[in-house]
Amino acid sequence: MIVTEQLANGLSVIIEEIGHVESAAYDLLIPGGLICDPSDRIGSGLIFAEMIGRGAGSLDSRALSEAFEDSGIRHGEWLGMDRFGFSGSLIASKLPRALELVALMIQEPRLPEEDIPNIQSVLLQDIAALNDNPARRVSIELSKRYYPAPFNRCSLGEAEGIRLTDRACMLNMHREMFGPQRAILSIAGKVDASKVLGELKSIFGGWQGSSIDLPEFATISPHEYTHIEVDSAQMQILMAAPSVKFAESHYYTGKIAVSLLGSSMFGRLFMELREKRGLCYSVYARHGANKSYGTVTAYVGTTPERAQESLDVLLTEFGRLRGSVTQAEVDRAKTNLKAALVMGEESPGSRASSNATDWWLLKRVRSLHEISDAISAVSIADINEFLEQFPFAPCSIVTLGRTPLQVPSDIVRSIK
Amino acid sequence: MASKFYKTALSNGLTILGEANEANVSAAIGFFVKTGARDETDLESGVSHFLEHMLFKGTPTRSAIDINLELGNLGAQANAFTSEESTVYYSAIIPENFRAMQELLSDMMRPLLDPEEFAMEKKVILEEIALYQDRPHFYLFENAFKDYFGQHPAGNSVLGSHESVSALSRDVMKSYFDRRYSPSNIVLAATGNFSWESFVSDAERLCGGWENFSVLRDTPRYAGKSGKRNILRKNLSQSHAVLITSGACAQDPERYPLSLLANILGDSSGSRLYWALIDKGLADSASVDNDERDGTGCFSTYVSTSPERLDEVLSIARSVLASPLDFSEADLERAKSKIVSRIVLDGELPMGRLMALGMEWSYRRESTPLSVIVERVQNVSRGDIEGALKRFPLNEWSEYRLLPE
Repeated sequence: MIVTEQLANGLSVIIEEIGHVESAAYDLLIPGGLICDPSDRIGSGLIFAEMIGRGAGSLDSRALSEAFEDSGIRHGEWLGMDRFGFSGSLIASKLPRALELVALMIQEPRLPEEDIPNIQSVLLQDIAALNDNPARRVSIELSKRYYPAPFNRCSLGEAEGIRLTDRACMLNMHREMFGPQRAILSIAGKVDASKVLGELKSIFGGWQGSSIDLPEFATISPHEYTHIEVDSAQMQILMAAPSVKFAESHYYTGKIAVSLLGSSMFGRLFMELREKRGLCYSVYARHGANKSYGTVTAYVGTTPERAQESLDVLLTEFGRLRGSVTQAEVDRAKTNLKAALVMGEESPGSRASSNATDWWLLKRVRSLHEISDAISAVSIADINEFLEQFPFAPCSIVTLGRTPLQVPSDIVRSIK
Repeated sequence: MASKFYKTALSNGLTILGEANEANVSAAIGFFVKTGARDETDLESGVSHFLEHMLFKGTPTRSAIDINLELGNLGAQANAFTSEESTVYYSAIIPENFRAMQELLSDMMRPLLDPEEFAMEKKVILEEIALYQDRPHFYLFENAFKDYFGQHPAGNSVLGSHESVSALSRDVMKSYFDRRYSPSNIVLAATGNFSWESFVSDAERLCGGWENFSVLRDTPRYAGKSGKRNILRKNLSQSHAVLITSGACAQDPERYPLSLLANILGDSSGSRLYWALIDKGLADSASVDNDERDGTGCFSTYVSTSPERLDEVLSIARSVLASPLDFSEADLERAKSKIVSRIVLDGELPMGRLMALGMEWSYRRESTPLSVIVERVQNVSRGDIEGALKRFPLNEWSEYRLLPE
């Protein structure tokens, strides 16, 4: 059973009762995030997401941390592209305590000035460590080139922005963004919805503050190939092309089309690159979408001498999908999407998060039935029509490794 | 609804375990083979993991593509992993496809080891080895454990090297399979929403014909050693270090107090190393782990930081480790809360229970209900930790540093 309600202060609340579990999970989303960092302080949101756990109300940093741990609450405060998130999972009886602590953090964070240099130091180390993680680095390098500003920001922030962030910047962020009006609190697990709703009203009812408008998304114009020279054992190859947005009617068509290529085990890329040619260990294609844009990304990691063939086969598979899709493939993709849906149903964490995401993007929660029907309805004709609209070319490609590759000029317009 | 626990064995020695709960919307099923890198000779280095891949590459009645497509048709979330001591094949599955999944997995357990598929998959394994070469943390651990354990098999590499895997032949793999994949060395387990009766009768039909033979593993305790070694690497931005000493093995009751101590010292948040290193911005990562192996164990501490700070970070870590009993009763209770919460949450989904059930039987030939495990954690006292420290004093460390060349 799912209960939704908007509290008097504007906070949207979603509660799902799951009968056969002992745990519960929460997700609180507040508009903000990396795209809202001041342009000369990119990374300040990351510092804020760290700072907000360092003491609130009468609890100093250590006392707050211990309050969560005393109740065995696994929690995380994080920064996304367009939101701040507060997530946790716990034994269900600890839910009121968890919510009290979250409410304290968002309303009365201490934001201790003396902790800022320590957090800056760890975040700067994370940036330095990116050089030691080629797979993560290629993804950041691609986003930087593919998306329009500010959606192309590095998820680790920028060194200069991190260094310049001070407590005044933190206080600003809290004042401007941390209001209930556009926030969403999603709870799932072994809970009694009406009891939790009552508790929420007393815990969050007094929360006040302003919310911000998120920046508009500009158009993507993918057309470049970039090679970054790195002396690594494997070459990282990543491509991105536009696809359908989340709320659009062809959303599940896009998801299925991409899974025909990118699913582990039975997708065409896995079959053609790994199973038939032994070119790589890791290869995938994924479909990601939100309100403003949809993206298909495809990745392969391989040793330098097999990199050109890997890219060629990957692009060939993308190019030949339209018109070659079989019913058996589509059925398999649908079965997998639906099985994942059913299996996700029993995890409070995944329910809390997917309900919150639905509300964030659609202002309502879809039933499993509705999603399942949407998946069932997709036909081969829909897929071909989708592929005509989103042909995956031109695209953007970034490679990271010893030597650049040859990329056909009809796939990317210019080679840098 | 409470789970029901079942256990039986086929006449060929295959152990079958089940924890059924009709309230679950899914089920999980897996084969746990008690074999891994430590059971390999030098000439076989990497074969356990390579063989794990080959189980997906065809049987007398199914081609590799058949297997992949069938997994897709069943909507299975299937995978496998190999460690130093275990090779596990598993899947989460919706209840209506459970029996078909059991049939498929059971067939995969008797692989064809087709020579062409063998040659093709070898390329994939070499790519996997290259992939891990680009991960400094993995590179350090691989080299550190190899050196720490010396001649003891617990330090054997799971992936093997480019050279050892290149040199592996199909015959070597076949003889390894014939030596290790006896039903008496395997556990078949299922959890969640499935029928125990049909699970067992299907197992009898599908696995009852597997020939039994005796499988041995030496499990000498490793006394540990101390020393220091630097490992150098080009183009490295962050430095990493691991300290290793002797710890409790998987069969040792003192694994409970040592695990709690590891949590107090080095959990990812709220631990003593967290407050001494991460909170202060000195390191970007710090953790402590009691690594329970079959018949031996080690206790390790890992840190990563910028190269210029490594000395300072290690010196602070060593001073924290030098006073392991410097914690309050509240610290101990907090560590218990964290561990108990993790046990309950991980045990809630069929896949979480499957792993706990299968691994526990592989190591200890027992099955402990979650409530009993929780009780054992709750009952650990400061005195128990003091007792464990008498046997495992955490004072003779082997130190390995991964530094920029």
